[in-house]
Amino acid sequence: MTQNQTKTQEALIQARAAAQELHGALSDAASSVRGAMSADLEAVQQKTRALMETLKSSASVQDEKARKHLKEALANLEAAQKHAMKGAKSVGQVLQDSVRKTLAEARISAQHISEALAEERSASAPKAKD
Amino acid sequence: MHNFIAVVFDDTSKAYKGLHALWQLDASGDITVHGTAVVHRTEWGQYIVDTKETSPVLATAVGVGIGALLGALAGPAGAAIGAAKGAGIGAASGAALGGAADVARLGVREQAGLETARIVGPGKSAVIAEVSEEWTTPVDTRMRELGGTVYRRSRSGLRDDAWYEDYVTPNYLYPYEYVPPAYSGP
Repeated sequence: MTQNQTKTQEALIQARAAAQELHGALSDAASSVRGAMSADLEAVQQKTRALMETLKSSASVQDEKARKHLKEALANLEAAQKHAMKGAKSVGQVLQDSVRKTLAEARISAQHISEALAEERSASAPKAKD
Repeated sequence: MHNFIAVVFDDTSKAYKGLHALWQLDASGDITVHGTAVVHRTEWGQYIVDTKETSPVLATAVGVGIGALLGALAGPAGAAIGAAKGAGIGAASGAALGGAADVARLGVREQAGLETARIVGPGKSAVIAEVSEEWTTPVDTRMRELGGTVYRRSRSGLRDDAWYEDYVTPNYLYPYEYVPPAYSGP
């Protein structure tokens, strides 16, 4: 594996960790006894923005399939941010619906980042042994 | 290869060791784990999925997905019963898959029930996971060391099952190593 490939994979691992953290924070908020609060979604918006910036700077990803997954992940994060923004200004059922939609988009974005990592690992791996 | 796997263990504590081992294989770069969940089958045949305390809507989504996936791992007939059983959930803590399955015809239901039971027998637990793996040896070897039995189907194979196509979505598996407080130790 080249130095570039190692760096790219490390960047993707960090991005995936951020996406996992985002999903964890959201699902904790959604599952808390008090229910999700507007403040939870404001914090989520900040995390989402930071993750989007990280993904946009992942220009070193060379594998075409991985790049496609990252593009999809960005689209899901943009949708997540819109839902979070709406939820942060809402209460009651609208707030809880926004949390659910934000959670779903965050989960799919985590999936795409994970699949991008798998594609990069596959591209740099020795050929299949079985 | 992009696969769904079920690793069956004799008890819950071993299942959580298996869950941890899967994420360790990810950390070492041997495989990439996209999502995981742990399922138990009671002595009375009911399935319980370990989830965070969550709303009934989210619990139902988890149950439908896991139910369909377990059924699909058992075979084509299993997917129908698995999804139907998953839809019967109501619990807030832990999603139970033991509801009535009105949408499936009796013959299919009985056959699928038998097939699913062959994977996770009463009293056993399983780790369900979606993984990318270049070769199957790392997972098979590590899980065998821990006493687990691995069942595996490719994602593309599952997509070909008509009953399952609506359920090949990642939303019901945790994208990180989720261990409920009851099993995470002191």
